[in-house]
Amino acid sequence: MNELNINIEKGTSLTQDAFIRLRKNKMAMIGLCILIFFIAIALLTPLIAPYTYEGQNLELGATSPSQQHWLGTDVLGRDQLTRIMYGSRVSLMVGFIATAVALLIGVLWGATAGFLGGRVDAIMMRIVDALYALPFTIFIILLTVIFGSSMLLLFLAIGAVEWLTMARIVRGQVLTIKRQEFVEAAITMGLSPWQIITRHLIPNVLGPIIVYTTLTIPSVILLESFLSFLGLGIQPPQSSWGSLISGGTETMEEYPWLLVFPGLALSLTLFSLNFLGDGLRDALDPRASKD
Amino acid sequence: MLSVKNLRVVFNTRNGTTVAVDDLSFELNAGEVLGIVGESGSGKSVACYSLLGLIPMPPGKIEKGSAEFLEQDLLRMNEAELRKIRGHKISMIFQDPMTSLNPYMRVVDQLMESVQEHHPVSRKEARQRAINALNEVGIRDVEVRIDDYPHQFSGGMRQRVMIAMALITEPQLLIADEPTTALDVTVQAQILTLIKNLQKTRNLAVIFITHDLGVAAQMANHILVMEKGKVVEQGTTEQIFKTPTQAYTQKLLSAVLTTAKPTASLAEITEPPFLQIKQLKTYFPQFGGAFIKRLISVVKGVDDISLTINRGEILGVVGESGSGKSTLGRSIMRLVDAQSGEILLEGKDLRTFSLHELQKSRRDFQMIFQDPYASLNPRMTVFDALAEPLLIHGLATDENVLTQVNQLMDDVGLDRRFIRKYPHEFSGGQRQRIAIARAIALKPKLIIADEPVSALDVTIRAQILALLLELTRKHRLTMLFISHDMSVVRYLCDRVVVMQNGKLVEEGATEQLFAAPKEVYTQQLLAAIPRL
Amino acid sequence: MYLFILKRILQSIPVLLGVSLLTFIMVRSAPGGPFDQDRNVPPEVIKHLNEHYHLNDPLWKQYLDYLWSLLHGDFGPSFKFQSHTVNDLIAAGFPPTMELAFYATLFALIFGLIAGITASLKPNSLQDYVPMSTAMIGICMPSFVLGPLLLLIFGIWLQWLPVAGWGQIDGDKILPSVTLGAAYAAYIARISRGGMLEILSQDYIRTARAKGLSTARIVFVHALRGGITPVISFLGPAIAGLLAGSFVVETIFQIPGLGRFYVQAAFNRDYTMIMGCTIFFAFLIVIFNLLADVLLVLLNPKLRQEVSGGR
Repeated sequence: MNELNINIEKGTSLTQDAFIRLRKNKMAMIGLCILIFFIAIALLTPLIAPYTYEGQNLELGATSPSQQHWLGTDVLGRDQLTRIMYGSRVSLMVGFIATAVALLIGVLWGATAGFLGGRVDAIMMRIVDALYALPFTIFIILLTVIFGSSMLLLFLAIGAVEWLTMARIVRGQVLTIKRQEFVEAAITMGLSPWQIITRHLIPNVLGPIIVYTTLTIPSVILLESFLSFLGLGIQPPQSSWGSLISGGTETMEEYPWLLVFPGLALSLTLFSLNFLGDGLRDALDPRASKD
Repeated sequence: MLSVKNLRVVFNTRNGTTVAVDDLSFELNAGEVLGIVGESGSGKSVACYSLLGLIPMPPGKIEKGSAEFLEQDLLRMNEAELRKIRGHKISMIFQDPMTSLNPYMRVVDQLMESVQEHHPVSRKEARQRAINALNEVGIRDVEVRIDDYPHQFSGGMRQRVMIAMALITEPQLLIADEPTTALDVTVQAQILTLIKNLQKTRNLAVIFITHDLGVAAQMANHILVMEKGKVVEQGTTEQIFKTPTQAYTQKLLSAVLTTAKPTASLAEITEPPFLQIKQLKTYFPQFGGAFIKRLISVVKGVDDISLTINRGEILGVVGESGSGKSTLGRSIMRLVDAQSGEILLEGKDLRTFSLHELQKSRRDFQMIFQDPYASLNPRMTVFDALAEPLLIHGLATDENVLTQVNQLMDDVGLDRRFIRKYPHEFSGGQRQRIAIARAIALKPKLIIADEPVSALDVTIRAQILALLLELTRKHRLTMLFISHDMSVVRYLCDRVVVMQNGKLVEEGATEQLFAAPKEVYTQQLLAAIPRL
Repeated sequence: MYLFILKRILQSIPVLLGVSLLTFIMVRSAPGGPFDQDRNVPPEVIKHLNEHYHLNDPLWKQYLDYLWSLLHGDFGPSFKFQSHTVNDLIAAGFPPTMELAFYATLFALIFGLIAGITASLKPNSLQDYVPMSTAMIGICMPSFVLGPLLLLIFGIWLQWLPVAGWGQIDGDKILPSVTLGAAYAAYIARISRGGMLEILSQDYIRTARAKGLSTARIVFVHALRGGITPVISFLGPAIAGLLAGSFVVETIFQIPGLGRFYVQAAFNRDYTMIMGCTIFFAFLIVIFNLLADVLLVLLNPKLRQEVSGGR
């Protein structure tokens, strides 16, 4: 045995612990795989899509799934697989970008309120409470009606709704962590506020933020599809899952596959994100990781 | 009356099977009090809960054993049969009276529910019995208070309500699981007397689960010592305390502090005094009101306190919950801001320091916290936790920090091999050692220790106290030691101040104060200590 | 208690003012007036119309006028259906929407609570997995997918239930209510399961068990009150979601409700109708949040005491 270099035992950090737990969660892993699959398809669509999304074939009309068109065609003879693939780009992009907007505003707002506390906190949270009482979905409809439905507006509007819950969660977390003795210990060691935030606060609030982010994405995707279904979101000839479902509804008696496949794509995505989020929550739950 | 034989309880968890109780046997006759003594994880509670089917199954499982109660085997009963025993023939009271009563139900309803579940009586009769039961346990104005909710009672009163609820069905056996652990010492003394009296007048059999040997000695005829699920030793109270045969029992007994400080005081009087606190006031204004926030009242956490600590001295601050002892420590640390007064550390008033000056000077005064589970950042390794203060204050460079951290590990008796591990991989006692290492890392002049051993088991507590004594000698530390436990203070401190409601009640050299307390409150505190 | 309710009502006034102002500003900053779309209308008629609806007044005056009439319960005339006032349209559309929301809530509460409580009694068993997996399907199957599918299966293929309408044929209220309520049933199931699990691990439940009480009594008398608290706080926001969801469901099932009117008004740029509906919805949401808050306080003796400021 080397006296100077005794074999140091490596510890398992909470993060590593959480990953081990997550990997054991079958549903979450399936969710992750599906999600990666959809993201890959969305990224590669322009390269691998079998047809163009606006390419019509009026002679063909609506056909059921076949060798040439795996998921069939719509009444204008457009390939549904292609349209769903292009739709996934819209849905996922809206999901990720609008969530990023929500994340940015929510984390900044919530962290500021939680860290400063006192009067500032009271006022900032009163604002959030007041905004909570607003009929936001209705406002978004109003916005899209008035300013026309642009992607940018959609990102901003949806992000602006979803940040409220994020702010609440972050504030709650920051307040809890702030009261923990290890933060007081850091103060008594003479760390500056900035050092405390970066070294002690952020690493400990990261978990819940990740979890909630994962769960925000599906609700954003849902909201976008909802608007597109009503005809207020993505405009033709571009396709989104919501507008595809809307179109499918009109002809579902004759061509049910036009409803089923986009619906399936949407539900599968929501499934995978929700299961992944649930799995992350179970894995990162501090109560479970104590002892 | 109760005869438990070869009880074995296991828990199937993610990480395999753990044996919570192994081969437990004991007997209990009517009118007897059995004290089950053990540290946390000894299986003392699980054993009693499993008798009544109160452990969650699964993951819990009673593998074998029998428990004859009034000629019936409790362990062979189905849920319906057990329910007729629970709360009727065998009642229980629990540790935390704050959480053990249903906050959504009136006290009277909770009491009546017990009666009506097991006796066919009218509502009126049940209410009358509830009133009688509450009278018996010493609740005042029962007729009025009976319709209150639990949160309207104090901790001690709630435990009285729990006792009334347990005894209202005239049980033959009472299982008391650490019933006074969450209470202040003076309240604990009252509750213990109450249980003892009720036990005598009703000729009750009692199983009294406790970690406190003093309490066990006061309450029990027989003692059963448990460790890691196994019975270490059992016998009459006298046998166990006078002639313990097993090493673990002896270790437990020796961990009970009844002695004065084993080492001489190192205090030296300096000018200016090392730490001088003058007329310190820390008030917490309380706001409320239905419409506009207004000042309702002021909680006087620290109310006009003046005291002096000499260099090298260990000053104990004792008091019950709400006495302001922690607020005093936190005010000195400037974790809370005092209203007025001076905190002079070697003549310099800490209260006048700017944020930057304060951050730099913090290396001179450090703090050890109560809860070693909460005081360490769960996402930092031991090395990071100990290196952080050294690097921030420039006491170590990137090259020699490892040597210094290793030195600290040696100082507090932790194996150097563990420096890359995370706090959750250590036991409570080890974590408190890490916290102590962190506090002494900066070689501070003053350490404020806020109940550093109250979350620890007795044997661990003894080790940590010994460590603190050793470190104060070795590094010539000055310490303000905050505790609710008189015996711990006696063992460690040179001088003691007693606090009550934010005020300083009495002050004196430790042995003097223990031998001849002048103030009534100090006398009450000392009288309330359970003795072996 | 009354003071608390009064306080909450006063607090919601600025919210409603904010909603009305925001809506007003958004509507007025829209490019193009309400009559621009109709190309056949000659300019003098537009001028006349603008004058008739006071569209030439300064904005602040228009807003105050509008507020003033709102205070009298007058939402003004509809720009599109000029023979109707907004009040008429709301009065016509509100009853089916409210009825739909009511049935959906009822469905969500009954099924959600049963599923959630059942699951919480035996966590990590089949009794937990089955209702919770079903709930997950409910959450991931939005109403605009579920509705058409149900319609297709039960209305068209099996022909068990009518495919459209509201109150005309027996059973035509079932599919819309289920469609709208399904997601909320799922949320309520998850929330109530979490709430019940939390409460069931409390010390006082152990006390109740030690008293020898039956499982039914422990669950329904001791645990339920605390366990459904999160469900009640969810109900406020849920109503907002239900109203928005009614847009879709009313469109799918062709129900002449407020939601469908709103979507039509949105396409028609019927400003007074949009504004009236938005404020009306906001008003409803504020009321339901208020009710949920009051219910929360009533259920919790500690809060009740804090609110009334007693001993």
